[in-house]
Amino acid sequence: MAEEDAMFDPTLIKKKKKKKTAFDIDAALAEGSGDAIENVNNSISNNVADDNKEEDIDDNVDIDLDFSKKKKKKKKPFNMEELESTLPDGKDKEDSALDNITNQDDSIMDDNFDLDFSKTKKKKKKKKDLDELIAEADDKQDDKENVEDSTVSWTGSDRDYTYDELLNRVFEIMRDKNPDMVAGKKQKFVMRPPQVVKIGTKKTSFANFTEICKTLHRQPKHLLDFLLAELGTSGSVDGNSQLIIKGRFQQKQIENVLRRYIKEYVTCHTCRSPDTILQKDTRLFFLQCETCGSRCSVTSIKSGFQAVTAKRAAIRAKTS
Amino acid sequence: MSIQNLQTFDPFADANKGADDDVQDGLVHIRIQQRNGRKTLTTVQGLSSDYDLKKIVRACKKEFACNGTVIEHPEYGEVLQLQGDQRENICQWLTKAGLAKPDQLKVHGF
Ligand SMILES: [Zn+2]
Repeated sequence: MAEEDAMFDPTLIKKKKKKKTAFDIDAALAEGSGDAIENVNNSISNNVADDNKEEDIDDNVDIDLDFSKKKKKKKKPFNMEELESTLPDGKDKEDSALDNITNQDDSIMDDNFDLDFSKTKKKKKKKKDLDELIAEADDKQDDKENVEDSTVSWTGSDRDYTYDELLNRVFEIMRDKNPDMVAGKKQKFVMRPPQVVKIGTKKTSFANFTEICKTLHRQPKHLLDFLLAELGTSGSVDGNSQLIIKGRFQQKQIENVLRRYIKEYVTCHTCRSPDTILQKDTRLFFLQCETCGSRCSVTSIKSGFQAVTAKRAAIRAKTS
Repeated sequence: MSIQNLQTFDPFADANKGADDDVQDGLVHIRIQQRNGRKTLTTVQGLSSDYDLKKIVRACKKEFACNGTVIEHPEYGEVLQLQGDQRENICQWLTKAGLAKPDQLKVHGF
């Protein structure tokens, strides 16, 4: 213990001296206002004095504790007085630097104390130059956790991270560690757009209907049922394997419905892979994924209530 | 003396009622149908029978400036029928009036 203290103390004092001068310069650069600099100087000298006192007193105290106490003391005067006194233009720079410092302090406090030594040394160096400090802080974070991304937006702030940020972070990590997955994600579902042609004024032809069924690996009847139920109309496949639908529909509208079909009945609900099989099992359809093996039931196709749109006289004529 | 908790309250009464209505999944299906020409029709199926559909249709007609009726269907119960493409309107109105939650609404059509 005594040895360690001996090793430890001189460096600390040196650092503090360095720190003081270095910080003055930086503060001057960043702020350019005499009052502010004075304030900062005061705070720093107070600070150093405090710390020196503490060192004298704390010789026998556990080093770990020592550290945390000092850091807290350093932190408080910096934050409070400087934040209040700095000019708006200098403030931003200062803030970020301060945030970095506090952040490091936190991390150091959590670490065990072997590490502390190396880190405190770094920290002292850093205080010479703000830019250097920021750069080093980044380096250090990289050392500590490879996964920590520079885009992580809560680094350098005391605020709580949001759920979205955490989600982004975990996805970034996953992408970093599994380049294959990124490739898999890019492999998108490419499909020809539906060819939709008007037939007269009352009918629409979906020319490549059968082809699309093949690319989707689905029974034409299943897709037909879905289309007709969604569009609330009737229709059938003609001799040229094109679908004739009653009513006027645009390509965009058919595309929308197709997209919904693919989402519900083609792509896996778990991993979104289009490599799936639709099986009928006791009145229910199940979507079995060939990629991830998940199996889930899909909603059955029901056309539901159909309003009477044909001319009532015509219906009466038919039935009677 | 009777035990208050054990009286003739059937917690599954609602569930049973839902079953014979064939309101299959508790969803409100909002569909669109083409009529002759550019004309369309919006149907709303699956609204709880606890609500007075006639009142609802009256309010909707006024709100969306369209005509509409309530149709009694043997399988699907009372169905709301409005003229024109009122899918957006009815979704907003139903959620605003608190008659259905957004995730209960299922909009069909193009
Ligand atoms: Zn899957």
